[in-house]
Amino acid sequence: MSAALLTVEGLRVGFRSAYGGMVEAVRGVDFSVAPGEAVGIVGESGSGKSLSMLAVMRLLGASAGATGGRVIFDGEDLLAADEKRMRALRGRDIAMVFQDPQSSLNPALTIGRQITDVVRAHRDVSTGEARRIAAEALESVGIRDAGRRLAAYPHEFSGGMRQRALIAMAIACRPRLLIADEPTTALDVTVQAQIVDLIAELRRELGLAVVFISHNLQLVAEIVDRVVVMYGGKVVEDGPVEAIERAPRHPYTRLLKACVPSLTGPVGPLTAIEGTPPRLGRLPVGCPFSPRCPDAAESCGHQMPPLIAEAGHSTACWRPR
Amino acid sequence: MSSLRKALEGLDWSGWLGAGIVGLIILAAIFAPLIAPYDPLALNVEDRLAAPDASHWLGTDQGGRDVLSRILFGARASLSVGIGAVLTGAIIGVSAGIFAAYKGGFGEQVVMRIVDGVASIPLLVWAIAIVGILGVGPLPVGPLLLPNEVKIVVLVGCLFSPVFARVTYAVARRIAGADYVRARFLQGASHWQIVSGDVLPNCLSPIIVQATLLVAIGIVIEASISFVGLGVQPPQPSWGTMLSDARSAIYSGEWWLPVFPGLAISLTVIGFNLLGDAVRELFDPRSEARTLVA
Amino acid sequence: MLRLVAGRIASSIGTLLFVGLALFALTRSGPGSPARIVLGAEATAEQIAQFEQAHGLDRPFLSQYAAWLGDVTHGDFGRSFVTGRDVASEIANALPVTLAIVAFAFLIALVFGIGIGVLAALKPGGAFDRISRFASVLGLSVPAFWLGIVLIRFLAVDLRLLPPGGYFPLSSGLSLHLQSILMPSLSLAVYYIAVLARMTQASLQETLRGDYVRTARAMGLSSRQVVFYALVNALPPVVNLAALSFGYMFGWALIIEQVFNIPGLSRALLNAISQRDFLLLQGIVFLFTAIFVFANLGADLINRMLDPRQRAAA
Repeated sequence: MSAALLTVEGLRVGFRSAYGGMVEAVRGVDFSVAPGEAVGIVGESGSGKSLSMLAVMRLLGASAGATGGRVIFDGEDLLAADEKRMRALRGRDIAMVFQDPQSSLNPALTIGRQITDVVRAHRDVSTGEARRIAAEALESVGIRDAGRRLAAYPHEFSGGMRQRALIAMAIACRPRLLIADEPTTALDVTVQAQIVDLIAELRRELGLAVVFISHNLQLVAEIVDRVVVMYGGKVVEDGPVEAIERAPRHPYTRLLKACVPSLTGPVGPLTAIEGTPPRLGRLPVGCPFSPRCPDAAESCGHQMPPLIAEAGHSTACWRPR
Repeated sequence: MSSLRKALEGLDWSGWLGAGIVGLIILAAIFAPLIAPYDPLALNVEDRLAAPDASHWLGTDQGGRDVLSRILFGARASLSVGIGAVLTGAIIGVSAGIFAAYKGGFGEQVVMRIVDGVASIPLLVWAIAIVGILGVGPLPVGPLLLPNEVKIVVLVGCLFSPVFARVTYAVARRIAGADYVRARFLQGASHWQIVSGDVLPNCLSPIIVQATLLVAIGIVIEASISFVGLGVQPPQPSWGTMLSDARSAIYSGEWWLPVFPGLAISLTVIGFNLLGDAVRELFDPRSEARTLVA
Repeated sequence: MLRLVAGRIASSIGTLLFVGLALFALTRSGPGSPARIVLGAEATAEQIAQFEQAHGLDRPFLSQYAAWLGDVTHGDFGRSFVTGRDVASEIANALPVTLAIVAFAFLIALVFGIGIGVLAALKPGGAFDRISRFASVLGLSVPAFWLGIVLIRFLAVDLRLLPPGGYFPLSSGLSLHLQSILMPSLSLAVYYIAVLARMTQASLQETLRGDYVRTARAMGLSSRQVVFYALVNALPPVVNLAALSFGYMFGWALIIEQVFNIPGLSRALLNAISQRDFLLLQGIVFLFTAIFVFANLGADLINRMLDPRQRAAA
């Protein structure tokens, strides 16, 4: 088995809550990403999916941070690296794009300036060469007339174009891993599909590994090789996308799938998951999903189920199917 | 009144400190005749330029007058001008703002243009010039003889009004166009009911914020104008005139003459600023009451 | 864009003319007509009428104003009835003095105000942050002219480091000039240092929380560049405030000049008042008003120029 590009082991992330005191939002997460592999991380708000990746990038501010575990990227523990080393890695080896393209671009600077700044931060090239690289990046994300577009300001772009520009910024230095944190959530449905396709295409062209974070299992399943399902700060299921689609084992994953109404199937009442998302400070000692789980036994809430692998498909459940 | 309770709970320690200082000074001003140990106008040449001691806590000035008493009475001038100007400005400005927002059309344009015009006037320069033109003597108005301070209150009040007009106009415009107001109107509420019931209460918080901060500015304006001799006229005590009188003492060493009036002004202004900031944090952390400069 | 700027300038000029009219009305309506002042209290009605006709004071009000305005655009502020001196040259003598004090104060306020604000924003909750907040409250509350008096006492009288008053123009030597304007400008600047520091800190703190700053960090930009990215967005409201402050400073400079015995526009203005020289007063106040109006205009235009969205829309 080839060495994983990114290995997350026992990652714990906490943040200071508004009421004082530390709240642990990611409570021991394990997964890995192989070179060139596309992994989707799926979960609802508060499941810890975004926080985990922000912790991997060491982008959390003063009030939050990784409190335990290891993050090995290409043999190096990122949690132990110093800020200078992280700055060298960010944007060059690992790149991240975020949810809201509107606010993620600096409104006072041109797109070209922002991309060339990233290029020149990591490569010792002249301004002219950096502009050429930036224009090339814009072309590769499907923005035509890239040369002229470099002089444009973000407000002159549409939402979809802005997200493309951000992706261009992310891949300009040919990173090995692209983390996309809900890149389509703030966009129109038609544009969503375009961005997802774009990421898939870039992955093929550049051999990128991709981590695609979303709350939408269906969206993610279109382009990823594996799916990691998170709930309540823990990984509850981790397997190849076909297995997750065909035969999900964890009750939560099954319910997620069932929530999506079928266009072709019989008409019937919509499926919803009972209950409300977990409150981070009030999680049960055992399985975090147990309060809402239709298959739960009394004992499920008392002891944390371990993540057990079975032919490349892991589940953390006391009573999987 | 529940918003008042929320307000009181929301004030942090600096707000309470400011409120405390302001309250103290207002009380001192009101009860000056009762608290002051001496008559602020009483000359006592034997005791002149006495350093602070048990009989004169803050010392005496060139005429032997007790500094503490003069400061207590001086609070009256500063506060009455500061608060008076703000009240005047608020009445004029709020009326103008509501009128403009409500009437709309030509009236709105005219009023807001005038507001812009008044806002373009450099306050201190014009205050000095106009008092200079009119003279510092008392102003005969009908049967009354109004002292110079009244001129300053009216002048500064007029020049303060654009702040209130703009704030009120912005809020009132927003509310007058709101759907629920239109609904009330259709239900038969009169203009007056809408203004007093919906528009004014919503304007109240930004107005209070601005008012508190402007009182601080008004106090410094009064002190400055009195300092150059165009404000409160001697022998009436004012912190500004006390500082002007104290200028010779810079060289001769009677430190209590410039220090205490200046501390009085600074303390009062700190009080109003702290209170104003706390009120702003409470009611309007961002928008209308942005940063007030003068 | 150009059309918008031209429109704003025209609007400001219009406001200035209108306000100038109010000023004209005020000075003309003050007690004591120029004729009486010059000719004395025993002047006969005939003498007064003659005088007024000779000086165009009997013409309709608006035409007097128009005539005066016309002269002003040629740099002619008239000749004083009281002193006989040319008003424009009196103003021209006093203006550079006041300008020196205000310009130096403005420079101090910009450098220290923005500097302190930036440093405080970069380390929120730190010692510098807390100290600067505390100092800001003090700076906003201590009246400038009292600060001036205190500075004179300490620096000039007690320590003898600086002259206690008076003014040395640049021609007397840079060192002497700076020594004479240091305390006045510093007293004037303190309030605005506090104002600008508070605004800068609040603005920068807010922009540092912006998503685009997170993007900049995520792309590996150096911390200096990240701060720059935030500053570019944080500074426009600060610059706006600074432009407004420049206008306000001229007013307070009048009082400061009196504290330090500086022969600037305040002396000219107060002399004009005591001598009832309304033509001089009119000229000085008009000048101050023009400065204030154009400072406000500058603030407005800067706001528009610095925002690419507004630049494009205009």
